Amino acid sequence: MKRLPAIFLLLLFCLIPLAAAAEESYTFDPAETEKKPYHVGGYVEFKPVLYGLDRDSAFYKLRFFDNPQGRNLVEANGKIQLEGSYEKSIFRVYGKTNTDLKASYSGESERSTFYELYGSAKPLSNLKFDVGKKTMKWGKGYAWNPAAFVDRPKDPDEPEQAMEGYILATADYIKSFDGPLKTFSFTPVLFPVYDHVNSDFGNNNHLNVAGRFYFLLYDTDIDLMFLTGGSKPDRYGADFSRNITTNFEVHGELAYVRNVVKNVLDASGNRHQTEGEAISYLIGLRHLTSFDLTTIIEYYHNGAGFSEDEMKNYFGLINKGYDAYRSTGNTALLGNALQMAEGGYGRSNAMTDYLYVRLSQKEPFNVLYFTPAVTGMMNLCDGSFSLTPELLYTGITNWEFRLRTGVIVGARNSEFGEKQNDYRIELRVGYYF
Amino acid sequence: MKKLLLIGLLIVSAACPAFAIDGKALLEQVDRNLSPESYESYRKLLNIEPSGAKKEFTLFTVKKGVDKVASLFIAPASEKGRSTLRLGDNMWLNIPNIGKPIRITSLQSVVGGVFNNADILQLDYTAEYDVEKVDEQGKEYLLYLKAKTKTVAYDKLKIWADKVKKLPTKIECLTEKDMLIKTIYFKDVKDFGGGIVRPAVIETDSPLYKGYKSVMIMAKVKKKTFKDEVFTLTFMPNLESLR
Repeated sequence: MKRLPAIFLLLLFCLIPLAAAAEESYTFDPAETEKKPYHVGGYVEFKPVLYGLDRDSAFYKLRFFDNPQGRNLVEANGKIQLEGSYEKSIFRVYGKTNTDLKASYSGESERSTFYELYGSAKPLSNLKFDVGKKTMKWGKGYAWNPAAFVDRPKDPDEPEQAMEGYILATADYIKSFDGPLKTFSFTPVLFPVYDHVNSDFGNNNHLNVAGRFYFLLYDTDIDLMFLTGGSKPDRYGADFSRNITTNFEVHGELAYVRNVVKNVLDASGNRHQTEGEAISYLIGLRHLTSFDLTTIIEYYHNGAGFSEDEMKNYFGLINKGYDAYRSTGNTALLGNALQMAEGGYGRSNAMTDYLYVRLSQKEPFNVLYFTPAVTGMMNLCDGSFSLTPELLYTGITNWEFRLRTGVIVGARNSEFGEKQNDYRIELRVGYYF
Repeated sequence: MKKLLLIGLLIVSAACPAFAIDGKALLEQVDRNLSPESYESYRKLLNIEPSGAKKEFTLFTVKKGVDKVASLFIAPASEKGRSTLRLGDNMWLNIPNIGKPIRITSLQSVVGGVFNNADILQLDYTAEYDVEKVDEQGKEYLLYLKAKTKTVAYDKLKIWADKVKKLPTKIECLTEKDMLIKTIYFKDVKDFGGGIVRPAVIETDSPLYKGYKSVMIMAKVKKKTFKDEVFTLTFMPNLESLR
């Protein structure tokens, strides 16, 4: 438990003098601009977290029913990302690995994987082919992307974090024009889902086809996208983004999904499936004041989300299961609840309507590279919310320091009120090399 | 008769605006002397704090025509791979981790410090400004510029330009109410080859950031043409392939 954080701290602080030394130079040697055919780089992160547990909440009971904890829980997280590329002629190979390390109450764990590993060919300046594991990241939303059909779900708590891709084949064709339509591009995607290939995406043994059409029309970014093929229900989407003025941007995203199958619980705790179409959408804005305060506001409707009653039924199942475990030792109901969590109830933002607000003030009091921010996320169905103030400093070349706290507020049977924590305090120290 | 004609011509010549400076043509010449219409270059940006602490960024930049500019960060490691694109009033930032270009505004700064996005993704001055008047001040012209639209970062500019070299020496960026936002100084005129002779160092300070200074150093400025497709959102992650 104590070894991992110690190794990380040692590694990070050994690297600090290198960063300081790099700042001595004041000249621009043209040799700095020479391009090499290869590139190697990476990122190391150390993130200790203190959780203040809510021992009466449903998700605390579900996670710790057989291993009760005190009021607080300390966790040390580490991350190592390595990336490299090699380029020759029209060909390029790119890879990025990710290793997550965790030391917590349950012991130490490590998970390593390739986030991306693909080969590219670029026969023309307006045509490119990629084959391999890649993140596509479609959509214009900051916190949510309902139209990102070929990506893993984004974590709205860390929307700028690198994500793991899927194995696919894709191309980009670009065409520019004079006139109101300035750019058109088409991105077709072949998306196989078989045993050992994207098997966590959906139903196996399907070769899915997806695509995105992009238009820059009347100074507005517009995308139209689709996914079909059998691994997931067919879906169609659109998004837009436009600057109304130099400091005011609006964006939106829409996804229509046919035949969404949802596992829900009724008031008696019985599981059943519902099937129907779902429309999810997001509308947002980004605004910058003359004193450098950036505001991001997004409203998100999750058409496939659970209603307040469906969520209450789920919390009821957990509480019933917990009582049964306490009185008889029987874990059947809690096992059922764990399965339902994986099936959707345990996802972040599993309900239908949310509001996201982020305010960040760049360099207040003329302190360069210092950005305090506060982020709020509210479940509009039950009024519960989380509030996350943070302080970010990037003043030392290649280093990033972020101190963040998260406070969760909500009544019993509300989404945020039933999360396992009341609050969270975390420090993130990152170094790029 | 000849004397009368001569006197008449002299009077007309003195009164006629034939010798008045054509502000638009002068500004176009300043633009072209600063850079070819289409080019590639490398730039190092330095943010210098009052304590003397510095932070450096290195960018590869390509420009085409009057309203297309794209830049790629090649250092430091924390910024490497980030790219910015400007098409007229539209600006985007592509961060590899986020994976998709997000719209940014001209007044924000992707590097922090005194330079904002409009300074880093500078278009031709003639694309964004009209010349209101030109004064002569010894060895320099003083051009008074007014933004063509409200979407331009600075409402007014005052450009001091060397009369012989037709290159700027100083620019004051002002609000509509003549409040000074920043001053840009052009220094160290250098021959980059291919007929490009221009200042290699651009310094800026601002009363809004007292004691802070940002510096831009130019290198390898070269005439080069690019396809329009290079200046698109879809191409942003591939800018490295142009180097």
